[in-house]
Amino acid sequence: MFALVLVTAAMCEAQKTNVPAMVTAGVDTNFPTTGSGKGTFYLSGPGVALKKEVELGTDVAVNGRDLQNAGAYEAIVCADTCHTSQFYVVAAKAVKLAFLVHPSRVPVAASDAVSGVALPFDKFENMVLTPQEVDFRLTAGSTSLLARSVSAQNGVAWFRTTSGKNAGKLQVVATLHDVVSTRAVQEVASDPCNLRIKGERTPKGIEVETDPVRDCSGNVLPDGTIVTFSLTGSNGKSTIDAPIKQGIARADIPAKGPQTISVASGVVMGNELHIGGQ
Amino acid sequence: MRIRQICGKALSRAAWIVALVLGVIGMLAAGSGPQVQFDTSKAGPRQVEADTQKSLLRDYRLAWASLTQALGNNSSDALQGPFVGDAAQWLRQTVASQRASGITSRYSNQSHKVDAVFYAPEGDLIELHDTAQFELQIMDGGKTISDDNVVRRYVVLMTPGADRWVVRQLQAVPEF
Repeated sequence: MFALVLVTAAMCEAQKTNVPAMVTAGVDTNFPTTGSGKGTFYLSGPGVALKKEVELGTDVAVNGRDLQNAGAYEAIVCADTCHTSQFYVVAAKAVKLAFLVHPSRVPVAASDAVSGVALPFDKFENMVLTPQEVDFRLTAGSTSLLARSVSAQNGVAWFRTTSGKNAGKLQVVATLHDVVSTRAVQEVASDPCNLRIKGERTPKGIEVETDPVRDCSGNVLPDGTIVTFSLTGSNGKSTIDAPIKQGIARADIPAKGPQTISVASGVVMGNELHIGGQ
Repeated sequence: MRIRQICGKALSRAAWIVALVLGVIGMLAAGSGPQVQFDTSKAGPRQVEADTQKSLLRDYRLAWASLTQALGNNSSDALQGPFVGDAAQWLRQTVASQRASGITSRYSNQSHKVDAVFYAPEGDLIELHDTAQFELQIMDGGKTISDDNVVRRYVVLMTPGADRWVVRQLQAVPEF
């Protein structure tokens, strides 16, 4: 009985491959086999299913092309029976950064409004999971808003921060060794501050316009921002929407009789204006 | 005659795709598909909303059912939809390579314990750690050349698609 076990064990040992515990992606690797005579070598893993006839007892050379995808692989050697060994291919050196930045357009001075996520990848698009230091730099013009070094955890480095105070382009840069990835965020004026209007009667009605509309940091609101003028008079209430052009919104309102005019933009209310009748 | 041949081929291919999709759905409906436990309590910086968790669970399970179909039948049709990017590419490569070698891989008795470890601030990316257990049979033609119960750890990146979450990266690692 014992002899039978030994013989069986010997047969099982007859052919196998001694795999390395880990292989770096894309590296040519030799798989030494044991046993003698003809056998079949299989390699099964992400992106590959190889089958080749081999001479047992020699090395099986596997091209790095067949080991490009990080993951778990099975090396199988068959003669009368088959023997399976498992090994892992791990990512090569990080040479790319996937960099997601949000949003593409942000109001100034908005708390925790800008975020970025960077993921290092090797040249075969494998996620690099060993800790990597990613440097994030945010600059608006010549002003530095953020310079932070973040160690990637589980292959991800990220930041979140408040937007700058001036409207314009915010440059967001992530750097890993010599890999640089750049994104741009457009910072725009926030809600208006001190929204004020002035107006006068004209032969056709009332001409009303805002003072230059700025946010609380002094940035002029972008063209196209809608300002709403509301009129209350003897004929009831009406509203007129006007877009800001070069900082100012204007409206010619065909109205007779005394009118009370108020102004709003978004959630911000401005002053009230009383214009007498014609 | 030529048009009839083309139509015949197209119909036959459509029928094959329908059969595969029905196979995946049937497998899930019969409860014989992958068992998935999902824990999102450790995810950050964004919290995973309850509806998002349900969608992730559904779509990740579907992805594994599709992978099982694809590698078991050597057809990449089942991969269309649940996988994109690098994951879709290596899975298609595997199917093509298996077909060329006459090899198939069968994943059965799957159970997945999935932890969400990172959910991006804007909700456009989630990283999962999946500790999966399954029986992996590798066949050369009708002959089983490997049959093992394995525990595998996968790092998974999923992103929201038009109507579902899709697997963008599926990478087995020795340890988390």
